[in-house]
Amino acid sequence: MKTILSILLLLFCGLSYSQTTISGSVVDDNNLPLPGANIIIVGTSTGVVTDYDGNFSLTTNQDPPFSVQASSIGFETATLEVTSNNQTLTFVLKEGTSLDEVVISASRTPERIFESPVTVERFGLKEIKNTASADFYDGLENLKGVDINTNSLTFKSINTRGFATFANTRFMQLVDGMDNAAPALNFPLGNLLGMIETDVQSVELLPGAASALYGANAFNGILFMRSKSPFDFSGISAYYKQGMTSQEAAGNNDYKDYGIRAAHKFSNKFAAKVNFSYLQGTDWVANDTRGKDRTTTFVENNSTRENDIDYDGVNVYGDIATINIKTVADRLADLGRLPNPALANLVPSVNVSRTGYNEADLTDYDAKSIKADWGLYFRPWENDFEIQYVGKIGSGSTVYQGSNRYSIKNFFLQQHKLEIKNDNFFVRGYITADNAGDSYDMVFTGVNVNRKWKSDEVWFGEYTAAFIGGTLGGLNANEAHANARQAADTGRYEPGSPEFQSAFNTVINDPDVLTGSKFRDESKIYHSDANYNFSHLTDFADIQVGGSYRKYVLNSFGSIYTDKLEEIPYSEVGLYTQLQKKFLEDDRLKLTASIRYDKSELFDAFFSPRVSLGYNLGEDNNHNLRASFQTGFRNPDTQALYIGFNVGSIILLGSAPDNPERDLRTVSGDGISTIGQSIIGSSFNYDGTGAYNNSFTRTSVAAFAASKNPVDLKIANPGIVKPEQVSSYEVGYRGKLDRVIIDFSAYLNQYQDFITTVDVVNPYYGDVQLTQTIPVGGTPTPLALIALANSDFQAYRAYTNTTADVNSYGAALGVTTKIFGSYDLGMNYTYTKLDFDRDANPDFQTNFNTPEHKVKASFGNTNLFKNFGFNVAWRWSDDYVWEASFATSNVPAYHVMDAQINLRVPSLKSTFKAGASNLLADEYFTAVGTGLIGSQYYISWTINNL
Amino acid sequence: MNIRYIYLFVLALGFLACDEDDNILPEEVILPELTTGSADFSNYVAVGASFTAGFTDGALFIAAQGNSFPNILSKEFAKVGGGDFTQPLMNDNFGGLAAGGNRLPGFNPRLVFGGAGPVPLESVIGPVIVTTDIVLNNPTGPFKNLGVPGAKSFHLLFDGYGNPGNLATATANPYFVRIASSPTTTVLADAMAQSPTFFTLSEIGGNDVLGYATSGGDGSNLITPVDGPPGVGFNESFGAIVTTLTSGGAKGAVTTVPYVTDLPHFTTVPNNALVLDAATAGQLTGFFQAVAGIFTQVLIGQMVPPAQAQALASQYAIPFNAGANRWIIDVPATPNNPLGFRQMTADELLVLTIDQSALAQGYGSVALTPEVLQVLGILQTGGTPTPQQGALVIAAVNGIDDGDALDSDELDEIKTATDAYNATIAAVANANDNLALVDLNAILTEISSMGINFDGFNLNADLVTGGAVGLDGIHLTARGYALMANKFLEAIDSAFGSNFIESGNIAKANDYPTNYSPTLQ
Repeated sequence: MKTILSILLLLFCGLSYSQTTISGSVVDDNNLPLPGANIIIVGTSTGVVTDYDGNFSLTTNQDPPFSVQASSIGFETATLEVTSNNQTLTFVLKEGTSLDEVVISASRTPERIFESPVTVERFGLKEIKNTASADFYDGLENLKGVDINTNSLTFKSINTRGFATFANTRFMQLVDGMDNAAPALNFPLGNLLGMIETDVQSVELLPGAASALYGANAFNGILFMRSKSPFDFSGISAYYKQGMTSQEAAGNNDYKDYGIRAAHKFSNKFAAKVNFSYLQGTDWVANDTRGKDRTTTFVENNSTRENDIDYDGVNVYGDIATINIKTVADRLADLGRLPNPALANLVPSVNVSRTGYNEADLTDYDAKSIKADWGLYFRPWENDFEIQYVGKIGSGSTVYQGSNRYSIKNFFLQQHKLEIKNDNFFVRGYITADNAGDSYDMVFTGVNVNRKWKSDEVWFGEYTAAFIGGTLGGLNANEAHANARQAADTGRYEPGSPEFQSAFNTVINDPDVLTGSKFRDESKIYHSDANYNFSHLTDFADIQVGGSYRKYVLNSFGSIYTDKLEEIPYSEVGLYTQLQKKFLEDDRLKLTASIRYDKSELFDAFFSPRVSLGYNLGEDNNHNLRASFQTGFRNPDTQALYIGFNVGSIILLGSAPDNPERDLRTVSGDGISTIGQSIIGSSFNYDGTGAYNNSFTRTSVAAFAASKNPVDLKIANPGIVKPEQVSSYEVGYRGKLDRVIIDFSAYLNQYQDFITTVDVVNPYYGDVQLTQTIPVGGTPTPLALIALANSDFQAYRAYTNTTADVNSYGAALGVTTKIFGSYDLGMNYTYTKLDFDRDANPDFQTNFNTPEHKVKASFGNTNLFKNFGFNVAWRWSDDYVWEASFATSNVPAYHVMDAQINLRVPSLKSTFKAGASNLLADEYFTAVGTGLIGSQYYISWTINNL
Repeated sequence: MNIRYIYLFVLALGFLACDEDDNILPEEVILPELTTGSADFSNYVAVGASFTAGFTDGALFIAAQGNSFPNILSKEFAKVGGGDFTQPLMNDNFGGLAAGGNRLPGFNPRLVFGGAGPVPLESVIGPVIVTTDIVLNNPTGPFKNLGVPGAKSFHLLFDGYGNPGNLATATANPYFVRIASSPTTTVLADAMAQSPTFFTLSEIGGNDVLGYATSGGDGSNLITPVDGPPGVGFNESFGAIVTTLTSGGAKGAVTTVPYVTDLPHFTTVPNNALVLDAATAGQLTGFFQAVAGIFTQVLIGQMVPPAQAQALASQYAIPFNAGANRWIIDVPATPNNPLGFRQMTADELLVLTIDQSALAQGYGSVALTPEVLQVLGILQTGGTPTPQQGALVIAAVNGIDDGDALDSDELDEIKTATDAYNATIAAVANANDNLALVDLNAILTEISSMGINFDGFNLNADLVTGGAVGLDGIHLTARGYALMANKFLEAIDSAFGSNFIESGNIAKANDYPTNYSPTLQ
């Protein structure tokens, strides 16, 4: 409690009249200086923070004698008496344990991890300093229960407790209270709009639902990053990192990353800071040329362009254009384009895909991250009342993998926040705006570069004609296919040629999905929050109330959402309250109860309660048991509501009540079969409503295609999407056994109305109840069957909720200790398990995407000898299935080792570090479709508070 | 070392050990291992006729032999202990036979696709020298493939069938002369000399009806009688061949005989391709009314009562309509059809080799000369032609020759014989556990009616475009032979307990062409 108090007191600035000055230093039990330690005069709000060398100087209006307390995270607090002016104090702090660290996220109020009512992980200054990863954000991966899915060098997606693609809409990330999700995408873009390393004060991570306090998106977990206040940390810090990424596909590439933080406390009233960082490197090259099944997205290990005429390579784009060449032949025959219509019979009923381009031909793999932020902090009364303005921008280039793979070029995200707060309340409002810049969809770039050169109709026509010609000329079918491809590909734009470059440039600047691939977006989120903590007013319990309001304005110009004609605005509002009370001797029992009310303009209101109990055991309160129950809910994200995006083989369709009718499409010409044209004409307009009121499940259509038995067809007609709910039960134990610290938690999540997608097929004509018929050869035949048989249908990946039981459970166990004296050893194990009857629900994707077992360990010594430290981190992941709309396959088990050594040079206020991630150079991947993750070697120089 | 560290270490091991699989990905389809079953494929000998030889596009040539169904089968058999499969390869890819440097008439180079339909190879690439010479360069056996194009059932038992001396009388077959181990051997004896452990006996009975059919039933090539001793009648010849082949304990597969008249050789040229405009149709109708009238007068002149004469002659007043009309064919003259011609009925067939240009010039209808037109003019103006002029009109009827058409009687004969052969084949096969039966007839019926789906290809019996039957309209394409080989494997699996089909050891349609390039040499 003292630690909490001291941090709270830190925020106060007392008024001073008379002057007593004290100075001194804070060191640890190895006599090493402790920078950043809090020095406070007991019973007052007067305090300072030690500088880089652990020195401090404090002036107060109080006359001696009084007590001064020194505290630092991870150390036990010490108190010394001041008896005279200008006294010099030397504090020796005994190292504490990680459980003594203070977190504020778990209850929206500072508390020791040890007493936190729910599982919480913390990554503080010490961890940042010691991480073997290339930067602090990567280093989070070593926390227990944390998965990092690597999209690209600069875009890593953090998740906990399963259910994650890169579009991780169940996970939230707050930087100084601001949600840094990209408005268009509704999920966080890693650390691209994040923090620079030298400005990080602490990172806290709450696995599991936190909706009761943080609202809808904090469903599977939430990550908090706090920056250093310029009042407490002023001066100039900078880092420079230079290194090399090494990957078999990309070779060795230089990368550099540098940043600077400048903060200045102009007075006790006013402080300001500016941060800037720049990273440039080369992304991991994605070159998975294995083919995949178009319908299921399952990767097929044996499919190659050479042996599979309908090849759809994982990282080969343009080959999603596919057609059954028999239908092409029949069409050519109907149109009189064959010398003899019967020649169509020589063409097999098989699908053939166009020849695609490798991803490497469609992007330069520039990885760039430019971040800047600035803040003005005003304390008009020199106390805890503070007014801040913070602005933040993120720009750069990266690769994002969603339903397709995107080259994100020169994106621009900005946030502006205005916040008023004191120790008991805050009110803040911020806006996040994004601009997709020059980003483009690489899959459609391949498709449309091809089309720019030769339309699909012409290409497939030439292919089919050449196939017939080759067959008549004596080729067997394998040779005839090869011959046909060669003939149809004659004159193809070769990567690197001027024609290719010109087509490429045209396509990536054209936002029309039929001809281009530019990804346009200028969406915004407006958000405001308020919180009041009544704990200073009430004695019987600590009570907090708060609320939030959020408005989305989607504006993708029709390139993602159905907002071609106008922006889509919608809003959500939430209110919450929390009550916390301690009972029994030593406050051993702590009860926390909270409840949150949320209302989206699209859905009914929800209440989500949370109750948790913490109980300290043992003589020294060295054991803590905790149990909690909470319900969370999640409003469908913007994509689930408003997407209307044709990925080629299927249209992703959200289902806000008015969304399907806004997804307008036209099919004409070869898109409709001959018989279909006789029924609906040669040009047909349709919207997305058929996905929800006249559709079959896609798997049943596949079964029907094989069996020709209408009994196999299943009507889908999924319901429109509504909020998803989770009931989460969690128990945990934290304990200190001599020098061993144990942190264990286990949870069970039960999801209701789990938001998912279902693949459905909507026939252009005919009802799925099969009542509408026309006579064929005398027998009445359902129109819908004719439509299916002639490929006259649209496939949708429709957002909906599953009524199926989706449960997950898991546990995490972390053990840390010191061995051989001063070596830190930490190990943790995470178990995660999905409980879902996939066989009964073959059309649902849960995107669990998490290994069942994960083991991590780290070993290091911050002071192996004077000023020299090292750390080695090792992670092992079980194999798991990566299931996503882009590609689905097995992710093999892997283990990775990162290591760093560092040397502190106090005279230069510098730390030099040399490190490597993936030291063993076994390339691995965490998601199917991304580049293999190679090794990263770096040296860095960090200067602190010059 | 503190006990606690050991505990941590054990804990880590425990994590690594509990790795159970829970995979949502579809199990990779693993086909079962190939098993042999009860047959011994170590020494496979193929006995038969043109299908067995690999004959296609009107000829036998090296590439076609490579795609013979026995050769395709032998590749699968090789996986279960089958040995080398030696075929008596021709000398070139032209096809055709020569004797002492001179081409054997009727054994010409192959047909090729000429842009619209089958044409002789030499019409595309110019004259070639047929290098397979049955005098100069016969290969030496023994041969595992004893398919002899043109062989009928009883030929397999005939000990002069490979005797060059018999070529003059056409009782020997130059294809067998080429490969026979001696002039006095038989096809069967050459097969037995190799002590086969497994055999195929294919399309026996096919040529027994085919020769009759391709000659339009004109009497030059008769249907083999069902009855009669071995070497004469089909039933006993077939029985004797099977008995001999199985005498050493060999197992084998036999096929039924297809309805040869379903093949495109007989179905490609439509029997109603006499396409007329209204004026010509009227003219032809008028002509045949004239024929009927004139013949009535002729009959009356021969003292036939007028009513009877009119009734008999009225069959010749054949009406023609604008559009498609069926051709006129010659048939044997009978008391009921004294003039010996009539219009074809719906089911009657024309052979592929009919002279198309003649059809365009009146073959199958009327050869209208100026003289005939003059007589018709007389009739139109109400005049009466002289008997000579009348005879001129009747003689102008230009029916299709017997040799170019299969009339309903001939079709019946062929079907009756085929059904009888097949009944015998089925009975023999069913009575013998060592025989698998491949119902080639059912397969070709399916091909010619609805088509068979073979790896996405629809194989039907259309010439050129059907994909199953080669350019001669009778023999299969390589893709057709591949399908046939798979049907053999199916029958073998079911009779002898192997699992070629289930284990995926079958021919793939994609590996076989439907045509051979004219440039293939």
